[in-house]
Order: sequence, then C-alpha cells, then structure tokens
Amino acid sequence: MNRLVEPDSGTVVLDGVDITSLGKSSLRKARRNMGMIFQEFNLIDRLTVLENVLSGTLGVTSSLRGIFRAFQGDDIQRAIELCERVGIIDHIRKRADQLSGGQRQRVGIARALMQQPKILLVDEPTSSLDPKIGREVMDLLKSITKEAHIPMLVSVHDIFLAKNYSDRIVGLQGGEKIFDQPTASVEADAFDKIYHEAS
Amino acid sequence: MKKNVTLAYDSYRQDEVRSGLWKFVGLLIFIAFAFWTIDVLKIPIERVLSMFGRLGTMVSERLLPPEMAYAAQPKVVDSIIETIEMSILGAVIGTFITMPLAWFAAWNVTPSRLFLYPLSRAIIVVTRGMPTLMWAMVLVAIFGFGPFAGMLALVKATIGFAGKLMAEQIEAIDMRRVEAIRATGANELDVLFYAVIPQVWANWVGIIIYNWDAQLRNSTILGFVGAGGMGLYLREQISIIEYQTAMSIIVVIIVIVVLSEMASQFLRHRLY
Amino acid sequence: MTNISTIANPLRVPRDVYRRYAIFGVCAVIVLTVGKDIIIDETDWARMGTLQEMVKTALWFLPELSFFPKTVGPLLETLLIALWGTVLAVVVSMPIAYLAARNITPIKWITYPLGRGLIVLSRSTHEIIFALIFVSALGLGPLPGILALATRSLGFLAKTTAEAIENANPGPIEAIQATGANPLMVFCFGIMPQIFPIFVGNVIFQLDINIRRASILGLVGGGGIGLMFAEVMQNLQYGRAGTIVVGITAMVVVGEFISNRVRVRLI
Repeated sequence: MNRLVEPDSGTVVLDGVDITSLGKSSLRKARRNMGMIFQEFNLIDRLTVLENVLSGTLGVTSSLRGIFRAFQGDDIQRAIELCERVGIIDHIRKRADQLSGGQRQRVGIARALMQQPKILLVDEPTSSLDPKIGREVMDLLKSITKEAHIPMLVSVHDIFLAKNYSDRIVGLQGGEKIFDQPTASVEADAFDKIYHEAS
Repeated sequence: MKKNVTLAYDSYRQDEVRSGLWKFVGLLIFIAFAFWTIDVLKIPIERVLSMFGRLGTMVSERLLPPEMAYAAQPKVVDSIIETIEMSILGAVIGTFITMPLAWFAAWNVTPSRLFLYPLSRAIIVVTRGMPTLMWAMVLVAIFGFGPFAGMLALVKATIGFAGKLMAEQIEAIDMRRVEAIRATGANELDVLFYAVIPQVWANWVGIIIYNWDAQLRNSTILGFVGAGGMGLYLREQISIIEYQTAMSIIVVIIVIVVLSEMASQFLRHRLY
Repeated sequence: MTNISTIANPLRVPRDVYRRYAIFGVCAVIVLTVGKDIIIDETDWARMGTLQEMVKTALWFLPELSFFPKTVGPLLETLLIALWGTVLAVVVSMPIAYLAARNITPIKWITYPLGRGLIVLSRSTHEIIFALIFVSALGLGPLPGILALATRSLGFLAKTTAEAIENANPGPIEAIQATGANPLMVFCFGIMPQIFPIFVGNVIFQLDINIRRASILGLVGGGGIGLMFAEVMQNLQYGRAGTIVVGITAMVVVGEFISNRVRVRLI
C-alpha cells in the first residue's frame, strides 16, 4: 500500500490521491499519512523506546533536528503521552532491544501513531508474538483506533483475529479478491474457500 | 496520569541538555586539539587550498599518462619477477617458522605456559609492531642490497601477520578433542598433530593464502630501500624526476596487487 | 561381521591422494625454483661478507639509549600524523561507503563502480606512493603525510562500512522509510545505528595500523620519525637507528594493546 514493495498492477488511492503514480518526494509526503506496523516490529535496536517513537515524526522533522536527535518539545510531549497510552511509559528510556516482543510491538504502534496518520497499515501484527500477548496487542490496536477514529488495514492469516477485530473483511487468495464484506455477514464457509483447495 | 508524563518529559529534557553540554565540550576540545596540531606540526594552513589546485594540475600534467613502455623493459620485467619470487620465498619460509610459533603462542595448547608462551607471544607482537620497511633497511645494512634482505623482511612480516591469526585459530578450537587425545596418554606433539592441526588446518590454509597476498603487497615496495624487487626502479625514476615512468611502475604494482587479491579471494572461497 | 580391513579409508582414496601429492609437488617445485633464483643467483654473496662481518654489523644496531630523548619529539609527531590521517580518512570514507553500498548507492551503474574503484585504488597503493605524490605537490612536511595516510586508510574504512551497510537489517530501514522520511534521515536512523559499533571498531583498528604506517612516511619526506631514521641510517649511526626501531615498535605495541582493550569493551 505504501509501496515499500511496488505493486505489479493496479492503483492505490488514499483520500483521492493516487499513491501508485507518485514520484519520490510526493511519495514521501504521502507516506506521512500512512502509519505502518510490522510483523517483525522493525525497531531501531540501539535507540531508546522514546527515540524510536519519536522517529515516527521523521517525515516532518527537519533533517538538522534529526541528525542531532533534537526533537521538538511538543513532539516529545506527545510521544510520551502515546507511550503511556500503549502501556510502556515505564520503559521509555530503555534501549529497544531490551524489550520483550509484546512491548516492542507496542512501541511500533506508538511510533505509527506519532505520524497522526489517516490510515494505519498493519502487517501480521501478532505473528511473532505469543497468542495471549497477541490478543492484548490487538485489543490495544482496536481501542486506540476507535478512540482516534483512524481506519486500520490489517493483514492476517488468523481467522479468529479477522472475525473478532474487524468491521469488514477482504479475503484474498493468490492475489485475487475472493470476498469483501462486512464481518457480520461473512459466512462460515467463506474462509474455507481461501484456505482449502477448490475441490 | 498527567503528572507521570510531565515527570518523564522533564527528566528527558534534563538529560538532553546535559548530554548536549558534554558533546559541545567534546567538540571544543577537538577543535582546540586541531589548532594545537596545526601549530605544533607547523602546517601551513593558509596554503592548503591553493595546494589542492596544484595537486590536481601536477597529477594530470606531470604524472599522467604513465609511460608504460618503461615497465616493459627486460630489466624491469626481471625485477617484477624477482618481486614475486621474493614474496613466495619469504612467505613460505615465514610460514614454516610461524606454524610452530603459533602453536607455542596459543594459550590452550602451548606446551609451556611459563616460558614458550610469553616468549612466542612477544616475538609475534614485536614483529608485528616493527614497520617492515624499516626492518628491511636494517637488513640491507647487514646483508647488503638485493632480494635476500627483502626476503628476510617478508619472513618477519609473515611471522607478525600470520602468527597472530594462526594462534587465534588454535585458541578457538574445540578442546574436547584435545582432552580426548591427552587422555590416551599421548605427548604434546601427538596432541598437536591429532587434535589441533586437523581442526585448524582448513583455516590455516586460508591464512597462508591471505598472508602471501599481503606479503606480495609488501614486496612491491621493498625495492625502494634496496631490498630487491621493482621498488628499486620506482625510486630510481623518481630520483631523476621521471615521474611518468615512475607511474608505470606504480600502475604495475596496482595491477599485481589487485590480481593477487582477486586470486586470494577466489582460492579462499573455494576452500570453504 | 564386516572385515574392517575391507572398508576403504576415506583419506586414502586414490584420486584424492594423487591430487594432494600433485599440489604438494607443484608447490615444492615452485619454491625450489624461486629459492634457487633468489638465494643463489640474485644474491651477491661475495659482497655480503663473512658471517662474522654480518654479525658485527647486526650488533651495531643495539639501541643507543642516550639517543632516546631526541626521538620523543618525532615519535609524537608520528602519532599526531597517524591520528589526524585517520580522522581525515573517517570523514572521506563515509561518502565513498555510501557510493559503494549496493543497497543505497544513488545511480547504481555509475556511482557503485566509482565507489568500489576508489576503494580498490586506496587499498592497493602503498602509502609511500601516496606520500611521494603529495610531497611532490605540497612540499615536505607532516601535511602530505597526513593526506597520504588518509588516502591509504579510506579504502579499508569505506569497504567495511559499505559491507556493513549492505548487510544491514532491512526491516528498520523500511520502518523509517514508511514514515516518509528523506534519504538522509533513513540513513541516520535506519542504517547508522546498525553499523555504528562495527564502524568504530574498524576506526580504532586502522588508527593502530596507521601509527606503523606513519613511521615510514618520513622516509620520503612525510614528517615524523621516518626522516630521522633515514638520516641516522645514512650516517651509519646504527645504534641510533636501533633506538628508533625500538621506540616505534614500543609505541605500536602499546597502541595495539590499548586498541584491543577499547574494542573489547565496545562489543
């Protein structure tokens, strides 16, 4: 969606802007509106939690500030508040590689939210986590995005997560859209079409 | 909850200011050190910028194009061959001396921790520390001009270079095999041949190749101080201000070094 | 039960045995030919003198301790040259590493070979050659020495940094890109923190080697103790030469010791 991997065909339109046709610097501007959360967390290990969250502002922070890691006071304030919201405020001065998986994903969530994005792109957020921790993370995501009115586009392969944490499900198989319906109206066997070979 | 945030914010800001202060002080010390160096070494800082212009014209006019015909002369070609031969001999003899030395210098299997270990370690460290070109000059004074002195200089360079690497390899082996052989009542020499060498041999061959590559680089320049090889002609041409012919020697040196590095990379990869 | 003697010894498979002996044979022939060339033909045994004379000359090199104080100044100068040469190399190697890293080089078919080419030139040319060039353009003194060292060291630093960049974990890089950050910020936050420890370790390693290199630059006018060494050798003051060799070796050894400690603490 944000062209970290270029699509083979088709277009992506966000808020009336065709993402797929943008040039380099326009793409960077567009990416500011799309926060991303990764399966492997993708934190900067040597930096502290707070610095990692603040790195979410790099799309708008001036390069000079970035080089010296001298972020603006407002941003720092907001970052700390976000850390508290996701539940890691006790760890903000620790290096990112000293955290557990669940904690790291929370940092990732805070970082994505720092961008004040129009949409959150979430790539398999719980695949690298214990099931219990995974549920906690999904609960957190659901409540935060509901509060802030930010739509989330989550890719998962866990049917339970899809059914319980979404308002609408798009089923894909082999790059083809199989179905696209509100969650409530998805039938039980819709998932079978995706996960089992057509007989 | 708000208080929590404010506390964290204030503490972060405080740390930022403090670390910023330290970095600033560090920068000041660095700049002061730079000025002191310029003063102590009497570096003509005012002329630096104009110097670079001169450098550019000098390189393009006086050094280039290199007169490659010079390097094709028989005497020069002979010296190139001499350079390569010197490097082979120096590396080989050096390796034979280094192998037992590395054994003595390995803490885990050295036959004598009290005496041979510190002695061999000292030898390796000192031969590494001594600049090879200086040592070559000393050898030329003792043994006269020519590749013999150069070869001995390369032996010293090998001991320092390969010695450290080989000893490190021995120290990284699995000690259980050593203990197994020791348990059979074998003497240290047997331990060496049956437990140590089989484990390090693959790495050692890589080191031997790497070392020869390094010594080839060294040997190209040894002639500069009269220790044999093509460096002699480099010095000669420079002393008569024939820079373009000197450049031909430099070009040959670069070619040799690049080829040798490619060969050494290739061989070492084929072994793993 | 299988008769043990009928199980083939893998070390004695004929083809491998022949191959090993063949390689060994070729090497032996090469070494012997070379040995003959160098030792017998090229070496002027007549002029070398007797073994006694050689030992006597060697003994002349025993260090003349009273000379030592005079060497301290030039030794420090050598140290300064090594230090600043390394600093300069660090600065110049960063843009070259940027060009030579396959994953971030801007115009792959131009800048990548350019970066790699500069690295090869820097690593293949002996520092004496660089010193000769700089001295003839800038005159004698420590400045051409510093420049020569810098040109020689930047190859290693750029190469190892470029390799570290190429091996960097792409995940964090993607994460910073996803925020819409410009390439400089992507580098500062996504790449640099990953390569920093390796980089510092390599800088310290090069600093160590550069002390040794700086000591011979004086031989061609690049400042430091090399000049003094050339002088005393020319004047046949071998005892003083010995002092200098001991002095520089000591400095390098101490430097190596310190650099090892620092590098261990870094990891």
